[in-house]
Amino acid sequence: MTRPVLSALLLIGTAVLGSPSAVLAQAGGAQAGGAQAGAPQPGGGRALAPGVKVEVAPAPGSGSAPAAGKVDETALRYYARIGDVERMEAEIARLRALEPGWEPPKDLFAPQPATAGVDESPIWALLSAGKVAEARAAVAEQRRKSPSWQPSEKLLQELDLAEGAGRIRQASDTKRWQDVIDAAAAQPEAVACGRLDNAWRLAEAYGELKQLDRAYDTYRTIVTTCPKAKERRDTLFKASRYLGPDRLRELAALGATSNPAPGEDYSTVRAAEAELETGRLLERLGNAKPGGLSAADLSRVEGIVRDKQDADGAVALGWYFQKQKNYAEAQSWFSQANQWEPSDKAAEGLVLAYNGLGEKAQARAAAAPWKGRSSRIDQALKAVDPPRGAGGGRAVPQGPSELDRALARRDFAGCLGIISTTIARGGPTAALLQQRGWCLMELKRPSEAEAAFAEAQALAAREPAKAAAAGSRLPAGALPANGAADKPTSAQENAYGQALARLATGDMAGLTRDLPRANMTTAQKAEIRAALLATEANRALEDKRYHDVLRLLDARKELTPESRNLGILRGWALYNLMRYDDAYRQFKAIDDRLSTEESREGVSTAWKTIYHEW
Amino acid sequence: MPGIDSIFPKAGIWAALAAALLTSGCAGWMRDNMELAPTPWRRIQPAALPVTLPPAADVPVVAARMRDTGTVYKSYLAVLGNPTALPGENRLSIDVQTLPDSLLGALVQPPRIFPVPLYTSETLMAKTRKEFPDMEVKLAEVSRRNRYGDYDYVVAQNLANSCVLAWQLLTDHKRMLPERIEAVRLEYRACGMGDNVRALLAPFDGLVLTLPETVLEAEELGGA
Repeated sequence: MTRPVLSALLLIGTAVLGSPSAVLAQAGGAQAGGAQAGAPQPGGGRALAPGVKVEVAPAPGSGSAPAAGKVDETALRYYARIGDVERMEAEIARLRALEPGWEPPKDLFAPQPATAGVDESPIWALLSAGKVAEARAAVAEQRRKSPSWQPSEKLLQELDLAEGAGRIRQASDTKRWQDVIDAAAAQPEAVACGRLDNAWRLAEAYGELKQLDRAYDTYRTIVTTCPKAKERRDTLFKASRYLGPDRLRELAALGATSNPAPGEDYSTVRAAEAELETGRLLERLGNAKPGGLSAADLSRVEGIVRDKQDADGAVALGWYFQKQKNYAEAQSWFSQANQWEPSDKAAEGLVLAYNGLGEKAQARAAAAPWKGRSSRIDQALKAVDPPRGAGGGRAVPQGPSELDRALARRDFAGCLGIISTTIARGGPTAALLQQRGWCLMELKRPSEAEAAFAEAQALAAREPAKAAAAGSRLPAGALPANGAADKPTSAQENAYGQALARLATGDMAGLTRDLPRANMTTAQKAEIRAALLATEANRALEDKRYHDVLRLLDARKELTPESRNLGILRGWALYNLMRYDDAYRQFKAIDDRLSTEESREGVSTAWKTIYHEW
Repeated sequence: MPGIDSIFPKAGIWAALAAALLTSGCAGWMRDNMELAPTPWRRIQPAALPVTLPPAADVPVVAARMRDTGTVYKSYLAVLGNPTALPGENRLSIDVQTLPDSLLGALVQPPRIFPVPLYTSETLMAKTRKEFPDMEVKLAEVSRRNRYGDYDYVVAQNLANSCVLAWQLLTDHKRMLPERIEAVRLEYRACGMGDNVRALLAPFDGLVLTLPETVLEAEELGGA
C-alpha cells in the first residue's frame, strides 16, 4: 500500500544506464573523490561516505527554488489534520530544505477554509489508502465539476509518484526486471528512502539481470543514506542474495558508520553481517569435502554454534566430522545437538556415529526414542543391524560389513556398487534390492528406486518365509517404539519405499488414489498422507487458492506437527486472504524461534501492510 | 419513432451478437492460458512418449511421465536407466509448445516455460554444478548434429564415469515443425561408466520425434 512519502532525500545517481533520470545509485569513486563526508557539494549534493554521493533534490514540479511565501503546504496541512506526526515532521524538514527561510504556519492545526472552495482531503485519503486510480479519477471528476479548480502541485506530484511506484512494483512482481529499471528511471523520485521497497526492488532487478555492480551501488546508497538501522540491516539481508561476502562486509561497514542518525543503534547492521557470515560458514560446512574447511573457519563455526546453542549447526558439524570418519568428534556434536533440541535428524547422526565407533548398543539406544516413528532412524538402524541378505547374506554381521561401513559414512554410491557386486556373486535377495532402493533414493534417483522396491516386493512374494523373517527381524536388545503391531514388515517397507519414491517423482494423483489400499503401517500411511497434503498445499498457494491452503494445512496438522516451511506457507495464505494480523502473528512466531530471510520477509511485509508503510 | 431495424440493420445485429459471443469467452481463455502452474506429473506408458530412441542404443526407459502447463505446453519426461552409482537420474525431457486454435490465442502468447536461449554461461554453470557435483565439466566447443539439427552439450567426467548434458531447441517452421507447433525443446542427461562420450550421446543423436503431427528432419549439412 502506498502513502504520500515526504522524504527529502532523493538519491540522484550520477551515472546510471546513461539515463539522467535514474535515481538510486551512487557516484563512482572518481565522482566523489575528494569530497569530504558531510561537506556540502555544488548542486545540492553531499558526500556521505567515501565513494558515495547523494544528491538532495527537490521533488519534481516543486521547482528548484520556490519563491518565498509560495511553499505548497497542502500536504503538510493534510498530515496535520489526520494527525500523522511522523510524516508531518518529514514534510516540514522537506519544505525547510527547499526554502530555508520558511517556517511552519502557526495555525497548522487550526481548521482551514477549503482552497478555492474545493476540499482535497477525500482525494488525499484515497491516495493514502493506495487507491491511486480512484484518486486520479476523483481529480478528474472534481475538475469536471469545478473547471476553474486546479489540484495542488503537491497532490499531482504525489499522484505521479504513486503511479511510478506502482509501475515498479508491478514490473517487479512479474519479474520484468528491465521494466523495473526503466520505470525507476522514468520516475526517479519513486525510489528513495521514503519508498525503500522500491529501492530494494530496483536493486533486485539489477541483481537478477546480473548487473551486480549496479545492484551493489544501489544497496550501498541505501545503507549509507537511509537513516533507520532496521532498514539498513534488512538491506544487508536483501543484498546477501546477490552479493558475495566481501561486498557484504563493505556494505555492513558503511551501514554501521555512515551518516548516523540520533537514536538509531547501528550495531544491528554489524550483527546482521555476522549472522550472514555464520550462515555462509554453515553452508560451506555442509558442502565441504572432508578437511575442506580451514582450521580457523572450523573453529569459528564451532564457537558460533556453541554460543547460539544452534542444534542445526551442531548437526552440520556432526556430518562434517562423520564424512571425515572422525566418529568421536561427530558423536560429540550429534549428542550436543540432541541435547539442545532433540530431533530424529540429530539422533540419526548419533546412531551412525556410534555405529562408526563400533558401539552398536549405544547406537540402538540413541535410536530407541524415534524407532518406528522416523524413517530416517529406521534407515540408520539398517547400518547398525543390516537386513538379512545385505553384506553377503550373513545372518549375523561379524563387525561392520563393507555395506555397513558405506552406509555409516553415507556413501550411497558405494552402497550401489557393493550391492551390485553382491548380487553378481550370490544373486538378488529382497533385502538387498530394498537396500538398493533406499540408496537410490539418497542419490535422488527415485524412478529407479521405485523399480527396486517393486522388484524387492516381487522377490519377497516369491520367498514369503525368508521375506517375513527379514522384515520382522529386530535388532538385539531393541523394542519397537510403537509396539510390535506397528513394526513394518518387509512388504510394508517396500510399499513405503515405493510411496516415497512416487512422492519424489511428483506422482501425487496416483499416490493419493493408491494410498488407502497400500500395505503400510498406520504411521507410514500418516507420513505419506502428510507429505501429500503439504505438496497439495504448496500447489494451492501457487494457484492462489488460499482457503484451500489453510484447509490442507489444518488437515495435515492433525497428522503431524507443522514444519517451519509450511508455517511460512500458512503465513502467506493468511496474508493473501487479507488476514494481515493473523499473518503477522504467524510470521512473528516463526521468526522469534529462528529468524531467517523468509521469516523476516513475512514479518516485514505483513507489518508494512498493517501500518501502511509501503 | 425509428424501429430497431433502422437503428441496427439485421446484419449489424448478427455481427454484434457474434462479436459478443466471441469475446465473452476471452476472459476465461486469457485466464486459462496465462495461468501457467503446471499440472502434476502423470504416469504414461513409455510407448506413449512422443519419441523413439534408437534400438541400438539399448537405453532402458525406467519411467515415463507427462504434464501440461496452460493449454499451450505439454512436457514429457523419460527417465532412463543409469548404470553408474552417480547421483541424479538419466533422462530425456521434451517440451512441446503448441499454438492455440483461435486467432485470439495466437495473438496473445503466454510466456515460455523454458528460457530462450535455453542456457547462458551462468545458468549452464549452475545446472552442471547441480547435475554433476564433484565432476570436471567441459563445454563441447563444437556442436553435434542429430536429425533435427545442431545441438550443444557438456561433458562431465571423473575417474570412472562420464556424463553428458545436451540441449536443443527446434524452431524451424519453414521446414521442420508443423504449423501448430511453435517450438520443441529437448534436453538429455546421461551418465555412464567409462569415458565413451559418443556412446552416451548416441540415443540423442538417433532419437526420432513421434508427435501426432510429423516433425521433419533438418536438411543435411551443406545441402548434401
